[in-house]
Amino acid sequence: MGVSSMAAGSDAMQLQLCVFDLRRGQQEGQELDKILFFYPSDCPFLTQLSLIGLCEGIITFTRIFSPEAACEVIEAEKHSHVFYEAEPDIWMVLVVEKSKDDEPVWRCEALQGVLKEVHSLFKMFYMSIYALLDKQPSGELARSHLHSFITDYLSDFQLGKKVQMPSFRDSLKERGTVQMLTVSREVALEVQSLITAISSCCNGCDSIILFQDLLVSTTLPPDDTTNLFSYATLRLTPHALSSSTSSSWSYLRKGNSTPNLSNLTLLNEHQSRSLDASSLGQNRQISSIPRLLQRDKWSKGKDGFLVPNFSGGESTPVVWNQQTEECKYLCVYQQKGITVVMLVPVSSLANGEQELVQVKKEFLENVAQRVTIVEQKLSRGWGGENAYHVSGYRYLLIDRDRSVSRATPTGKVTTLTKESLLYLNKLREEVDIEKWRWHRDNPDQEKELEVCIRAKNNAWVIAKVTRGKELYMVLEKANETLLYATDAVEKFSNRYCEGAFSMEY
Amino acid sequence: MKERNSVSSVKRVLINCASQAQVYGICIADKVPEVGRDMCLKEFLALKTCMQNSHIDKIKKEKDILHMMQTRAGSSGSDALSHAYIQSPPIRCNIPETRGLLYDDGNKLLLSPTGDRVLSWKVGAPTERNPPNSDLIGEGAVLSIRYSLDQKAIAIQRSNHEVEFRNRETGMTFSRKCKQDSERILGLFWTDCPTCDIILIKTSGIEMLLYDPEQNGLHIMEAKKLNVNWYVYTHESRMLLLASGMQCTVFSGYQFSAAAGIVRLPKFEMSMTKSESNSKPVLSSDDVHIVTIYGRIYCLQFDRVGMHINVYRFYRDAVVEQGSIPAYSSRVAVSSVDNVILAHQLDAKVVMLYDLFLDSLSPISAPLPLLLKGSYGANSRSKSEESESISSAYEGMIYVDSWNFLVPDLICDVDNGLVWKICLDVEAISASSSDVPSILQFLQRRRSDPAMIKALCLAITRTLILEKRPISVIAQAMDVLVASYSNSLRSGSIPSATQNTGNNHATDSGVVSEHSIVSTDRAKSVIGDSSSKVLIHSPSTSDDDVNPEESEEPAGDKSLKSSVPQQMASHGANVAISPDEMHRFVFTLVEDEMSGDPSYLVSVIVEFLRSASREKLKLNPDIYLMMNHLLARSNQHATIALLVSNKIIEPSKEVAMQLVDLGQQNFKIRKLGLDMLRLLSLHHDYVSILLQDGYYLEALRYARKHKQTTGCGKMPEVSARIVA
Repeated sequence: MGVSSMAAGSDAMQLQLCVFDLRRGQQEGQELDKILFFYPSDCPFLTQLSLIGLCEGIITFTRIFSPEAACEVIEAEKHSHVFYEAEPDIWMVLVVEKSKDDEPVWRCEALQGVLKEVHSLFKMFYMSIYALLDKQPSGELARSHLHSFITDYLSDFQLGKKVQMPSFRDSLKERGTVQMLTVSREVALEVQSLITAISSCCNGCDSIILFQDLLVSTTLPPDDTTNLFSYATLRLTPHALSSSTSSSWSYLRKGNSTPNLSNLTLLNEHQSRSLDASSLGQNRQISSIPRLLQRDKWSKGKDGFLVPNFSGGESTPVVWNQQTEECKYLCVYQQKGITVVMLVPVSSLANGEQELVQVKKEFLENVAQRVTIVEQKLSRGWGGENAYHVSGYRYLLIDRDRSVSRATPTGKVTTLTKESLLYLNKLREEVDIEKWRWHRDNPDQEKELEVCIRAKNNAWVIAKVTRGKELYMVLEKANETLLYATDAVEKFSNRYCEGAFSMEY
Repeated sequence: MKERNSVSSVKRVLINCASQAQVYGICIADKVPEVGRDMCLKEFLALKTCMQNSHIDKIKKEKDILHMMQTRAGSSGSDALSHAYIQSPPIRCNIPETRGLLYDDGNKLLLSPTGDRVLSWKVGAPTERNPPNSDLIGEGAVLSIRYSLDQKAIAIQRSNHEVEFRNRETGMTFSRKCKQDSERILGLFWTDCPTCDIILIKTSGIEMLLYDPEQNGLHIMEAKKLNVNWYVYTHESRMLLLASGMQCTVFSGYQFSAAAGIVRLPKFEMSMTKSESNSKPVLSSDDVHIVTIYGRIYCLQFDRVGMHINVYRFYRDAVVEQGSIPAYSSRVAVSSVDNVILAHQLDAKVVMLYDLFLDSLSPISAPLPLLLKGSYGANSRSKSEESESISSAYEGMIYVDSWNFLVPDLICDVDNGLVWKICLDVEAISASSSDVPSILQFLQRRRSDPAMIKALCLAITRTLILEKRPISVIAQAMDVLVASYSNSLRSGSIPSATQNTGNNHATDSGVVSEHSIVSTDRAKSVIGDSSSKVLIHSPSTSDDDVNPEESEEPAGDKSLKSSVPQQMASHGANVAISPDEMHRFVFTLVEDEMSGDPSYLVSVIVEFLRSASREKLKLNPDIYLMMNHLLARSNQHATIALLVSNKIIEPSKEVAMQLVDLGQQNFKIRKLGLDMLRLLSLHHDYVSILLQDGYYLEALRYARKHKQTTGCGKMPEVSARIVA
C-alpha cells in the first residue's frame, strides 16, 4: 500500500488533509497539478502524490458501482481515510491514525463534518474552489486561498503541536448544527422587532443575532445561517474574541490553545517555492489574501462595531450568500453578550464602503439603544453556561429539519468515563450507517430507530431517532433495569423535547 | 343679499354656458311654434349639466373667498379649515317678551323669565325643538334662577338681598333675606352634597343650607365667614372658588360633591402680571374658568396684562400651577368639548385647542376660526343649498359680543336668543398632524361619537401600513391602540369574553351610582389624610381601576376628581379597537391592497403581537394563520419554523392544521404542524395525519398510549387503514 510510506514517517504524522482536483494534471509528469492543498505542507511530494494516487484510484474504482456517491471511507490497518467530494471532482481527504487498541476513536461522519464545515466556510467567503480555478486556471489563486484558509481553520484543532480531530470525546456534539437560545415569547417578539429595525436601517439586509455562543434569531436561510453561525462562534462572539481566557465557555469548542502559526507561515513559503509555478507577483498576491479565519484579527471598536484587521484586501470582509447568490459586507456589532451580524448587500451600496459608514451610523443612532435593551432582557433570562444541563443526563439532541442541536455543556460531558464515551461513539457510528442505509432504500420515509445498550461499565447508552429528530444519551450511575432507562428517556422527552421521543407506552 | 346672489349666479351661468344655451336656443327657435315634450332634449340636457356644474363651481369659489365664515359644501372633514365648529341649527329661545336668557348648569336648563313665568329648555335633550316648559314664578325682578336638582323647587334671586324659594308642587313660597347694609347676595346654587342642599354665597361668606319642603323653610347647616368679592362655580366640577383680596387673586376653594361631602382646599393665590404703571390689575370673574377634563379639575385664569392663561390643577390638598398658555386676544373664553380645552380668542376670532391629558400645554393645532356647520340631509344638492342658507342666516354672528360661553360646551347668544353647541372636528384635527401615533392617542381619548372615531382610527392605521411608513412609527401606533384597548378592557367599559367583570352591563345610571360608591370610599380617605401635605402619594389600595377616568390617570396621582362621571359612551360603542377588529379591518384589508413582498406586513403584525403580548391580550388564531400564509407565500419556511418554535406563533388547532396543509409543499412545515397537534394533545388529528403520511406503527403506538383519551374507536380505524 502506498500509504505505508507516510505511516513510516514518524509519530509527528498523525493527520493528513488534502484537497485535489481530479480534472487537473491528467498527463504524466503533471500529477502535482492535481494537488490544491496538502497538510502538512512539509510533507514530501512523493508522499503527497502517493496518497492522492491511492485516493484517485479508489474513487475511480468505486464510481463504477456507485457513480453518485463514490467512496466514503477507507479503513486501513493503521489509518482511516475519510473522503468528501466538496465540489464535483474536487475531493477532500482526511487521513487519521488509528489508536493502538481496537476501539475506534473516530467517527467517520464527524470527520466528514469537519471537511464539510471547512468547505462551507470557504464557500461563504470565496464562492467556491471552482470559481477560483476559473478565475485563474493555473490554480495558484485557489491554492493560496485554500492554504491560508484551511491552515487557519486547523489552528482551532491544534493541541500543542498536534492537530486533534474531533474524537469520541466529542460524540455529544454535532458539527454543522446551530445551538439556539431558548427565549420567552415576549423576548422573542422583542428580538423579532429588533430584526425588523436592523433591516430597515441597512436597506433590508439580512442579519443574525447571537447571545454568547447561541443563536437567538436569523433572517437567513438555514444553510447560510449555519455557516455564519459557525464563523461567528469561531471568531466573532465575545468568547471567540477573548479566546485567550480559557475559562470562558463555548458549546462548539474549547479555546484551549493559542494558535501556533509559526510553522504555517513557513509552510506558505515552502509551498509556493516548491510548486515553483509561482512568480514573484503571485507571491505578493498570496501575501495580500485577507485571511478571514485567522485568529485575533477582529477587535472591538469604540462604537461597538467589530473592526477587522486583516492584512491586505478590503477592510470589511465580503461574504457570499448561497441562497440569494449575492455578495454581502459582513458587519458585526457587539454589545456585552449580544452579537449582531449584519449582511449588507454590496450591490445596495453605490459607494461601497463609504456608504457602509453611513449604515453603521444609522444603526448606532436608531438601533443600538434597542440592542442594549434586548441584551439586558436576554442576559436576565439566561441561565448561564450550564443553562441547558439536565442533571443525571448527558445528552445530545438534534433537529435535522432545522439543523439545530442542543447538548449537555462540555464541562459536564467530561465527567463521563472514557468507556461510556467510546460506547456512545460506536453507537453513533452504527446509527449513522443504519440511517444512511435506510435513506438509500426509502428516500421518502424517515428512519425510526431506538437502541438502548447496557455498557460493560453499567452505563446506559441510548439512541433514539424519530422523524428527523435524534436523541443520544448516556446515563451513568443509573438503575440496572431497562424499564428505568426507557422511563428516564420518556421523562426527558416530555420535559425537554415536547414529547417528541415519547413513543413508548 | 340673497337676491343679489341669485342674480349674479344666473349671470354666471349664462356666461359659462353660453355655447350650450345658444345651441339650445337655436334648436327651440327652429321647432317653434310646434312645441312638444322632450323637444331638443339632448341640447337641454347639455345646458342643464353645464348650469349645474357652474352652480357648484360658484359654491366652490365662494367657499374659497368666504372660507373663514362659510360652511363647507360637504360633511367630509378632509378639507376642513377649522378644528371646532358649532352645529346648526341652534336652539332658539327668542320668544318675544322674554327678558334675557339664564342658564342653570346643575340641571342643564336654559331659562328665560317672562313676566310672571319662566320658560325652560332642557339642553342636550333629544327634543330640542319641543316647546319649553313653563313655571309660574310670580312678578318681580329676576337676577338668577336655579332649579333644585330634583326639580321640585325653584330658587329665584330677586335682588342683592333677597332669594325667593318656590315649591313647584305646592306653589308655596318663602324668602330669605340678608342684612341690607353689611352684605350682599352674590349667588346661590343647589348641591347634591349629603349635608346640605343649597349654598348661598354672600359678600360676607357662604351659608350651607338645608331645604325643607314640608315646613317650607331653610335650616343653616354651616356658615363660613370670609370676605368674598365674587365667586365661580360649576356644577360639573362641584367646585366653588371664592375670590377675595384687593386684586381678587386670593382664592378659597370648596368642593361639594355627593360622594365626598365638603372638601376644603387650602387657600391659594393666583398670579397676576403687574402693569407698567403702578396700578394693580383686578382679576375679574370672567377671567377665571373652572374646567373639568378627564375627570380632573383645572382652573384657567386669564392674565390680561401678561397676555397668557395660567393653568392650575386642583388636588385634594393642594393647588398646583401647571404653567401657562399664551393668549392672543384681550378677551378670552374657555370651553371644554370631549375633554379638550378650547381657548376662544374672542378678538382674533380664532380658537385654540389643548389636550391636557399628559399635562402638555402645547396646542393640538394652529389657531383657526370656529366654523358654522349645518346638519345635512343625504342629498348633496340640498346640502349646498342649506349651507348657503345657513351661512346667510347666521352670517356675522360668530364671536359676537353678546356670546356668553356656558359650561362646558355651549354658547349662548343672548341678543339673538340662540344657543349653540360646540363640537370638535376630529377628522380635521387628525388630518392636520403627521405625528400619527399621537393623533391616535388623541382619538382614543375621545368619547363622543365612538363609532366614527373608531372607523377613523382604523382608516388611519390602514393608511399608515399602505404608505409603508417606518416600522418604528407603526410600532408606536400599535402600542397606542393596543394599550387603549387593554385599558378599556380593564376598566370594564367593553365586555370581554375572558375578563367579564359582571359590571359591564350596568345601565348609565348604574354606572353613575357605582361611581358614587367608589367616590364615597375615596372621600373617606380624603378626609382621613387631609393633614398630609404631600402632593404625590403612592396609590392607596382603594385606588382600584374601577372607573375609566381613574384608570387613565398616571399612577401615583391623587388628584381631585369631579364627582360627575364623564359622558361615557355606552360599552357597545367604544373607540378601542380589539385585536380581532385589527385583524379584520386592518390587516385583512391591507393585505388585499398590498401586493409584492409580504415581509413588511409580517413585520407590522410582529409589532402588533409585541404590543399585544405586552398588554397580555389573548389573540385569535386568525392572525397567526395570516402570518403563516404570508410567510409561506414568500417561501420563508425557515422563518415559520423559527416563529413557531419560539412561540411567537402561538400553538392552536387552526394553526396546526394550516401548517399540515402548507406542508403539502414543504415536508418540514408539515412536521411542525404535526408536532403542534401532539403538543396540544389533539390525539385524533395527530393519529389521522400520521396515518395519512403512512406512519402506521407510530400511529398505532400513539393510539395505544393515549387510548384512554382517544377512546376505543380509534383502534379499529387504525387497523382498518393498515389492512387497507
